[in-house]
Amino acid sequence: MANAIITARGVGLDLGGVPVLRDVDLTAAPGEIVAVMGENGVGKSTLLRCLAGLHPSPRGEIDVLGGPPADLPDFWRRVVQAGDEPAWYPGLSVREHLELMSAVHQDARLTVDEALETFELTARADLAPLSLSTGQRQRLSLAMALLRPSSLLLLDEPERGLDAGFRQRLAGILRGYAAEGGTVVMATHDELLARETGARVITLRAAS
Amino acid sequence: MIPATARTHPAFAYLRARRRRPASWSDRYTSVFVLLVAAAVLGHPVAEALAGLARQADPARLGPGLALVAAAYAGFLALARALGPVVLPAADASWLVTSPLPRRAVLGRTALLLLVAAVLAGAALGLTALWLFGAPGQLGVRLAAALVLGAAAGAGGMATAVLGQQSPAADTRLQLLIGGALSVAVLAAVLGAGPARRMLAAVAEAPASLGAAVAGVASVVAAFLVRRAWAALDRIPAHRILASSTRTARVTSAATTLDPGMLTWVAEDAHWRGRALRSRPWPRLVSRLGPASAPAWQEWLRVGRRPGRLAALLGAAALPAVCANATGGGLGPAAGLLLCGALTAAAMCTAGVRRDGGDPALARMLAVDGRAVMAARAVLPALLAAAWSALALGVLQAVGELPPGAWWALGPAAAPALAAGALRMARRRPVDHSMPVIDTPGGAVPTGPLLWAFTGVDLALAGSLPALAALASRPASVAPYLAAQAVIGAAVLTAYVLRSARGSRP
Repeated sequence: MANAIITARGVGLDLGGVPVLRDVDLTAAPGEIVAVMGENGVGKSTLLRCLAGLHPSPRGEIDVLGGPPADLPDFWRRVVQAGDEPAWYPGLSVREHLELMSAVHQDARLTVDEALETFELTARADLAPLSLSTGQRQRLSLAMALLRPSSLLLLDEPERGLDAGFRQRLAGILRGYAAEGGTVVMATHDELLARETGARVITLRAAS
Repeated sequence: MIPATARTHPAFAYLRARRRRPASWSDRYTSVFVLLVAAAVLGHPVAEALAGLARQADPARLGPGLALVAAAYAGFLALARALGPVVLPAADASWLVTSPLPRRAVLGRTALLLLVAAVLAGAALGLTALWLFGAPGQLGVRLAAALVLGAAAGAGGMATAVLGQQSPAADTRLQLLIGGALSVAVLAAVLGAGPARRMLAAVAEAPASLGAAVAGVASVVAAFLVRRAWAALDRIPAHRILASSTRTARVTSAATTLDPGMLTWVAEDAHWRGRALRSRPWPRLVSRLGPASAPAWQEWLRVGRRPGRLAALLGAAALPAVCANATGGGLGPAAGLLLCGALTAAAMCTAGVRRDGGDPALARMLAVDGRAVMAARAVLPALLAAAWSALALGVLQAVGELPPGAWWALGPAAAPALAAGALRMARRRPVDHSMPVIDTPGGAVPTGPLLWAFTGVDLALAGSLPALAALASRPASVAPYLAAQAVIGAAVLTAYVLRSARGSRP
């Protein structure tokens, strides 16, 4: 693919001597949504971490936004990864976490109020994230990821903790992001979410 | 007492069955043998120490000493409040508290342990107070009165903490008691060397019978409070016991796995969980200064949201002077307190660095240059350390422990190095238990925890050497030390910030 955002060929990785990924190929173009699916333990999250440059030396060839991925600020200015729940900053409210993101990224995609409304957090804006339910914290994590500008979203099980209604809404939000030219690669178990986002599905098989 | 109906509850049989097996003869023999050996080993030094109490009090040390005892009592109450104080092992908290078992039966064992701990801690404080005030006559009566008074204060305080766990109104009373103890500490520290000196001397010379009477009244009040706390055990809401048990379990786990860094996370999360905050937008000025200043602003917000900590920090600025007075003008412990206090002030505002060090997910999402963020995040710790140490040095000079000169300026000069030390502390990794254990004549020394403990302190200590040297030698002119300190402080912080950009930790 000539203008691919991600080109990964023959990616392989062993962890503790156990093969986790073997000969995985993945490409993603601007404006495309790719859903990586498969059973537990087939390496979906590991593949995302490889694409984010968070595994030191996977086998194969990985090219993200024109170069190998690297855990450096320049890379993260164009790439957003939302996976496990982050360690929230203590003493900051939901709104202030979004304010912080907005203050750092002057060309934010959404205003703080828009993000609160889109992710149905307006009523919880003045609470600390630890006071929220699991699903609400997941929405906050996604709101922070989608408030800031980026070219590539790497989402690890974005449906985690979300109710069925909000999953539909999330599909619309991700379609909107892709329509603006952004690329989404998400590891998911939710076939409905994959279908509603219009994602191209890649199914991983166990490496061993 | 537990009512007869509750005592026959099948729960008691269950609880008895799951507790440890009854003590065997061998257990009893071991216990008695250990007690006898302890008595043989400690008997002579304890007897000598008790004989040493039969002396007149030193009026100059009464105020600072009483301040330290009152501060320790406030700390004891605050710790009891922070831990629960009524807690259970996590499994018991989950399964027994929410069951129909009589709550007092479930909590009784914990309550007894708390009472014993409180009596012992109180007795230790009572002995310390007696050591300060001396026993010019009737040593036996004074010793008994001090022990009873201390034990009553400990038990009464713990009972108040248990009552505070049961109802918010009682918790307010507990906070008033803590505030009162702190006020006594401050008053004793401030007035003990001046107007209150005569009053404290009069207390030291009061007849032993008066002390015994006060101890008697205190023990009656303590018994009343303990009785009320015992009755309240049945009414402590389950959610409070569950919350404090979970918190204490995490703290215990952090302590037993020797990962003290976890304790800070636990304390922070426990403080902020469930609180509604008044959200504030990031000031435009901060945004104009560039993206790196935005992550640093959160520390300013957090510090402003905990005025109690700032007030405690302000009050603690008198501690080095109190310590210098209590030790008869020795500046060694006071200099140690100065370094600890200033480092604590700096470390109070490094939570963002600590979180990003433990889990960089948010830092990646923010995607800001590491060197610029570290520089911006060093500003507030440096300012707080500068203000606190300048104030503490000013107080030391005001009470006559330092010669004339601009000694206060050593604080701001050392502040950059202290900020670098606090940032290094915040970024240190968990204790590495795979590090070797070194055998020394004094015993085995595990290098992992040792290195962990010194990470950060090392930088603060090395960067403050000119200030510490000045305090040790008390030169007539502080100017050369001040110049050296300013240069070294700035150099340490600059080097640390530059090194942090390489992504190396801590």
